[in-house]
Amino acid sequence: MKPNTLSTFLTSNIDLKEAFLQLLFSSCQIKQVNKGDYLLQPGETCTHSFFVKKGLLRQFSLDAKGKEHVLQFAPENWFMSDRDSVFFHEPAAYYIQALENTSVYLIDEPFLTNLAHKDPQFLDFNLNLLHKHIRQLHKRVQLLLSATAEERYLDFVHMYPDLMLRVPQIQIASYLGITPESLSRVRSDLAKKNQGR
Amino acid sequence: MTTKQVEQVITPAGKHFVGNGFFVHNIIPGSQGLSMERVSPFILLDYNAPHYFAPTGTPRGVGVHPHRGFETVTIAYKGRVEHHDSSGGGGVIGEGDVQWMTAASGVLHKEFHEKEWSKKGGMFQMVQLWVNLPAKDKMSKPKYQALANDQMGVYELENQAGRIEVIAGAYKTTQGPASTFTPMHLMNAHLVAGGKAEFNFPAHYNTALIVLEGKIQVNDESAVSANQFALFQNEGEAFTIEATENAIVLVLSGEPILEPIAHHGPFVMNTKQELMQAFEDFNEGKFGYLED
Repeated sequence: MKPNTLSTFLTSNIDLKEAFLQLLFSSCQIKQVNKGDYLLQPGETCTHSFFVKKGLLRQFSLDAKGKEHVLQFAPENWFMSDRDSVFFHEPAAYYIQALENTSVYLIDEPFLTNLAHKDPQFLDFNLNLLHKHIRQLHKRVQLLLSATAEERYLDFVHMYPDLMLRVPQIQIASYLGITPESLSRVRSDLAKKNQGR
Repeated sequence: MTTKQVEQVITPAGKHFVGNGFFVHNIIPGSQGLSMERVSPFILLDYNAPHYFAPTGTPRGVGVHPHRGFETVTIAYKGRVEHHDSSGGGGVIGEGDVQWMTAASGVLHKEFHEKEWSKKGGMFQMVQLWVNLPAKDKMSKPKYQALANDQMGVYELENQAGRIEVIAGAYKTTQGPASTFTPMHLMNAHLVAGGKAEFNFPAHYNTALIVLEGKIQVNDESAVSANQFALFQNEGEAFTIEATENAIVLVLSGEPILEPIAHHGPFVMNTKQELMQAFEDFNEGKFGYLED
């Protein structure tokens, strides 16, 4: 698929206040990451948060058996970071990898803190983002604990409308905590119910 | 009747793989001056210029993906392609055949080199067109037309200059077999060196050609070689093509669909809201299901 100007429109997950973002990005570096390359690997210390301008990132861990577990995807207008590493200076536990050629803003945490100290409105904005992130994580835990595969899938496609076309199914299944076979079954059952409706 | 002049001759930029089975130049809308609106109803043209694929037991191609809001037309010049879609359409096309798939309200499909052909490998040459649908037909039922080479309308040119194989619309009184939603003409001109053919389309139709083999001269002045694409002005009706070498030329002419285009990936609709709906419907299985 070609680069699309509509990606931003499709994947915007929060009503980002344009002015604050401009302020934030005015001092940020932009980094280009090639498809398949890593922004972070386990053991490194993550010094920045990433905001996707164009492209797609995924954050995942490897278990003892070498199996990947996808924690999050970040398409256009999403943030991604290893918070343990950025805020508590612990060695990173995750990989952050580009699934497409991606350009990201590198968000420097001390800069963010300074900005929040100087501007109460920016502090509110930043806190709001953090609370939304926590709300999202709660929902994700809840879905993993108690939702059916179909409910998890429908929540996923509602939040990430175009990722079924951008991400291999095996990675989506990993994100949903189900096998690729279950994901196929969910999609085929939905089609039986909904085709042509 | 006045002459329809060539507006520009385009040498396509680099090639890219679609899946692992189609190695294409994107000509529409990827070339300067060939936006979807400018060449409507032909909103995409990918050209797989002759390319050798080595033998393999695992056919190359493009896996399951959706479409909504338009038609895909695959014209095979060399090689064989197998197609399946979620509305039950499917088949194999080979040299001279055409597959006309109306995605309309939505299908999932996959396209692979035919298994037997893949085992032997060989030269592969195809054109894939996307033909837009007017708003009133975008959500109509999906449809599949397999157009075998022996169904094409054939017009034998005078003086053994060659022949015109009509896929859709007409050349003079010879009709093509494809049924279309808006008026258009689509045909392959097979010309022998020195052979000449005249064409005549309404002035306002968007008209173009691509040379697949050989070399031609349009209106005795513009030289167009293999792999090049020529766009005509929307003035005048008549033009001539003369082969300076044995040539095969795909000629396209269609009435523009004067409606807004909202395009994202495999969906072509009129508004952003309809695009969002397309993603939602695809994700919820409304396009059906197709095994990889």
